[in-house]
Amino acid sequence: MRNNKEKAIAIHKKSVWRRLGDQWQLMLMSVPMLLYVFLFNYAPMWGWLTAFQDYKPKLGLTGSPWVSMKNFAWLFSRQDFLNSIRNTLAMSIINLVLGTITSILLAVLLNEVRNRTFKRTVQTVTYLPHFLSMVIVVGMAQNIFASNGAVNNLLLSLGLVKEPVFFLGEGKYFWGLVGVINVWKEVGWNTIIYISAMTAIDPCLHEAAAIDGAGRFQRILNVTLPGIKSTFVILLIMNIGHLMEAGFEMQYLLGSSVVIDWSQTIDVFVMNYGISKQQYGVATAAGLFKSVVAIILLIGANTISKKLDEDTLI
Amino acid sequence: MMTATTVPAKHRRKKRQDIVFPIVNTIILCVLMFVTLYPVINTVAYSFNDGTDALRGNIGLWPRVFSTKSYVSILQDSAVYEAAWISASKTVIITLLNIFWTGMLAFALSRREYVLRRFITVVMVLTMYINAGLIPNYLLITRTLHLGKTYWVYIIPTMFSCFNMIVIRTYIGGLPDALVESARIDGAGDIRVYWQIIFPLCMPVMATVALFVAVGSWNSWFDTYLYCGGQKHLHSLQYLLKMKLATTQASANAAKTSADALKSSTMTTPITIRCAITVISTVPILVVYPFLQKYFVTGMALGSVKG
Amino acid sequence: MRKLLVALLALALMVTLCAGAIAENLEPITLTVFRGDPGDQPAEDNKIYKLIEEKFGVTFEFEFLAGDLDETLGLKIANEDYPDLFDGGNSADLIIQNGALRNLLDFINPEDTPRLWAHIEPQKARLIEQDEEGNDVLYIIPNYGLADGEQIANYVSGPAFFIQKQVLAWDNYPQIHTLNEYFDLIERFIAANPTDENGAPYIGFDILCEDWRHFCLINPVQHLMGRPNDGEVLIDVSTDDFKTETFIDKPYAKGYYKKLNEEFHKGLISKDTFVMNYDQYIAQLSSGTVLGMFDQYWDFSGTAEAALRTAGMDKNTYVALGLVYDPEYVDGKEIEEHYLNGSLPNVRRGFGISVNCDDEKAKRIVDMWEEMLSDEWQLIFNWGIEGEDYYVDENGRLNMTEEQYKNTQDNTWKLHNKANAFFESSPKKQGWIMDGQFEGNAWEVGNQPEIVLGQMVDYDKDFLSHYGYSKWADFVNPPIELAPYGEAWQIDYSPVDIEHTDFLAVQDQRLPEIIMADESEFDAKWDAFVEEIAPSASVFESFMQDAVLKEAQKVLGNE
Repeated sequence: MRNNKEKAIAIHKKSVWRRLGDQWQLMLMSVPMLLYVFLFNYAPMWGWLTAFQDYKPKLGLTGSPWVSMKNFAWLFSRQDFLNSIRNTLAMSIINLVLGTITSILLAVLLNEVRNRTFKRTVQTVTYLPHFLSMVIVVGMAQNIFASNGAVNNLLLSLGLVKEPVFFLGEGKYFWGLVGVINVWKEVGWNTIIYISAMTAIDPCLHEAAAIDGAGRFQRILNVTLPGIKSTFVILLIMNIGHLMEAGFEMQYLLGSSVVIDWSQTIDVFVMNYGISKQQYGVATAAGLFKSVVAIILLIGANTISKKLDEDTLI
Repeated sequence: MMTATTVPAKHRRKKRQDIVFPIVNTIILCVLMFVTLYPVINTVAYSFNDGTDALRGNIGLWPRVFSTKSYVSILQDSAVYEAAWISASKTVIITLLNIFWTGMLAFALSRREYVLRRFITVVMVLTMYINAGLIPNYLLITRTLHLGKTYWVYIIPTMFSCFNMIVIRTYIGGLPDALVESARIDGAGDIRVYWQIIFPLCMPVMATVALFVAVGSWNSWFDTYLYCGGQKHLHSLQYLLKMKLATTQASANAAKTSADALKSSTMTTPITIRCAITVISTVPILVVYPFLQKYFVTGMALGSVKG
Repeated sequence: MRKLLVALLALALMVTLCAGAIAENLEPITLTVFRGDPGDQPAEDNKIYKLIEEKFGVTFEFEFLAGDLDETLGLKIANEDYPDLFDGGNSADLIIQNGALRNLLDFINPEDTPRLWAHIEPQKARLIEQDEEGNDVLYIIPNYGLADGEQIANYVSGPAFFIQKQVLAWDNYPQIHTLNEYFDLIERFIAANPTDENGAPYIGFDILCEDWRHFCLINPVQHLMGRPNDGEVLIDVSTDDFKTETFIDKPYAKGYYKKLNEEFHKGLISKDTFVMNYDQYIAQLSSGTVLGMFDQYWDFSGTAEAALRTAGMDKNTYVALGLVYDPEYVDGKEIEEHYLNGSLPNVRRGFGISVNCDDEKAKRIVDMWEEMLSDEWQLIFNWGIEGEDYYVDENGRLNMTEEQYKNTQDNTWKLHNKANAFFESSPKKQGWIMDGQFEGNAWEVGNQPEIVLGQMVDYDKDFLSHYGYSKWADFVNPPIELAPYGEAWQIDYSPVDIEHTDFLAVQDQRLPEIIMADESEFDAKWDAFVEEIAPSASVFESFMQDAVLKEAQKVLGNE
């Protein structure tokens, strides 16, 4: 890698502008998307100003009255907003922990399968839910977790509960439900990356361990898991930057007014206040708050990854 | 196999572990497959069940009272065809546009000598973490760009994804540098190098990205909801499904109880209709993804960590 | 008879031809229409819409509500995506406030539109409001409640406790007037008949809680206290200042939810009822397994009740009962029931013309409505095409054959032969026909005595005869005089929108919890609820007190 870098520097000792001129074809290939991203990802950030306004669509960004921090003060006086911060963090941590553990576990199990056809079949099947839309997944979940759905029938027939559990209508089940549905949807998909890390492990290590008399479990513990450690760490750090993204679609589609205390994430809150109640300023303020926290988390994660001497994220 | 031949006979305990583990493992994985497939097959079973009977619930893996009424009634609904057309056409267009632009960008950003490489990369990667938010985006698209209520709202705002760019870039990075260098010596410009040499070599990763983009577009409903809810001719299939989920059209349900349906003593109900649309809208994906498995597995493995 | 038929057909043909002639000089237009309710697209060959197209050159493109009403309207407002004819349903205030509707008074006046003017004139005080600049404005001509002549009350069209007829029949047609009697009967019925003839278990009592239809959950207490529907407040009309209070947080409300809590633990109320959406609810009612619920008749009559009728499950259709609290709930007081109220214009409900329409288009819509208020068109909308859908007997009475009447109950037929999606939200005449050829008949098919008696199925005739009643409204007291303020649910809450939303949200969330609470926790949960709702309730209550007085003043001041 270093060789390449030196070569690149050696070849291009011309001035930056000159080099840019030489690279007009590369620019042609990349600048349109750069402009595109500025327009669709960065330009809307002007809209963050509405967080400091009592925004009225009729008056627009220039005509609406400024209210300084009033929207934020109001937000933090609202129990439903505080709840949605809590729900966002809780659900994304649950998703992260549950998702990571289950996918590593499945990857380990798959890695131990010797019959290639069977392994491929399991993989194909477990990838399937990843490709289903959230609308479909939630529709299925509503069938499966209904009072007369499959899960309750199973629990009842096993004698684990005396009467159907009200999964969809009691707030205390909501986080767990979201966690379980997410695992169902993504566990197969998430193994891809761990399995590829596992295939990168030198087979000699396994053979050596086997010769030393290590059983399956010992090999898993001492060879496989250490082999995917760096992948695990990188993914974990990357996900810290996404902690404020607990998801929108699932909570929006699966939630109802009965469980709103536990189901409403910041994104759903924004939808609710911004669209249903036309409190554009308040909704933007909530979105802005989320973005600011996300940026702080991203910088934090980047610093950690630098300290750990891994590739930085950016 | 290796253990059986090389490990001396005295290690019997380990040998047993080696026999038991695969069996237990196979059982666990079979259960997992069952759990994964159950909701899907259950949905199919519902979709082929008689509507009124389905209201009683408790249908497992096989329809209790077989009926194709739900499919018949959907296939008579012109709205479904229109929506399928919208979904399919936008999916194809977005996929092509994404491949076109993202591929070129990824190539440019894979050139180490490119002066703007670092700057553009940072700008792009940041979009994965920071988002202006629902309301500002909404105002941009409806008020500033006036894309609301038009077909373009499906296309223009979704032409780029940073994650896909990274996947392609990483793949290109794995190709031998000599390919580009030698073409350069022959006097080819970057654009020609990309389209004539790199792009044909990138087919596996392009297939992966195409799948990601196509699935994303095919599965989206929120854009329709936000921007085209009032434009019936622009409704997508997933949006129809979402609406069925929200209000499964009680009145339609009641209407279907009328004479015609009663004659054969079967009728459709929201639940069977919903399941049938689910099946119809999922079949295209189910048909495609197993064939691309080899590609997207490589693509995912490349993209995620190198990001 | 055949001769008569031929003559009528010829007449119909002539009307059609004339209509065609008028349409020629009008450029055809398509009006986009939004209805704030779920509904079905009319069939493409719908004969009434064809007639409208021929006569007015107007075709419609309908959009029905799917999903949350406020969110749907919010998106339309943010997108300025207004249909030409805009019915905001129960949140019409939202679109009015955001300036989505045009002032109809620009087009309606005694000279140009005499019929429309005559239609609204008697209720002017209630209908015409003042905007910020003090101008008279009218955004929506009420879709219902502008009746001519004496009120017709054949059945309970609004709120009531409903019960399946078979339950009453099973207990030998008892008189049920109080809360305890009602639940006691359902309990006994379900104990004796746990499932229906197909083996599906009966559900004792359903409570729909979805979105704005949560009135099924939060409104009953005022009725149990003996008042008609004032939304979320209880108003003492005997006082001069119309003393207004929120009732949900008062001790007398606790008894109702305590009763529901008990019934929940007895298994009469299913947990699923609290997460059901409207369609699931209707599907459940349509299956015939729900024995009772609190609801408003219009909420399920066109869907579930019609489905039950079509399926021939007459015994599973519903009777409206006017329940009140037993004396034990209210310190021994005897309460008199008043479920039926004087007729009331459905203020701010129905079609408005959106600002997307220019003057010309708006004028054209108003002119169309003006023409449609003619007897001829009102008969077409209500009764259909003479000879096809109804007949006129030798005494000039409107009537239907059994076949024709059966059609009107069939939803699929209606999609082909009725223009309900448009007519339901349009200005219409109700009550008795006051003059002309058909004087003395009822505008609405369901109110015509010949239909009410003649088309009643045998099961219902037999059922009523056991009670010695002639109509369904006999199960409740006759209507009382409408209070000067109208009905308080019509008041625009938007000035206290946030508090009102909180007020409702706490109820939506806590009341189901309270109903499902363990008996030992019931009191604690109730107290916590009362405390939690107090801040928003007090703001809402004082706002409502002022608003009720103001509304009353508008009408009283005019007299």
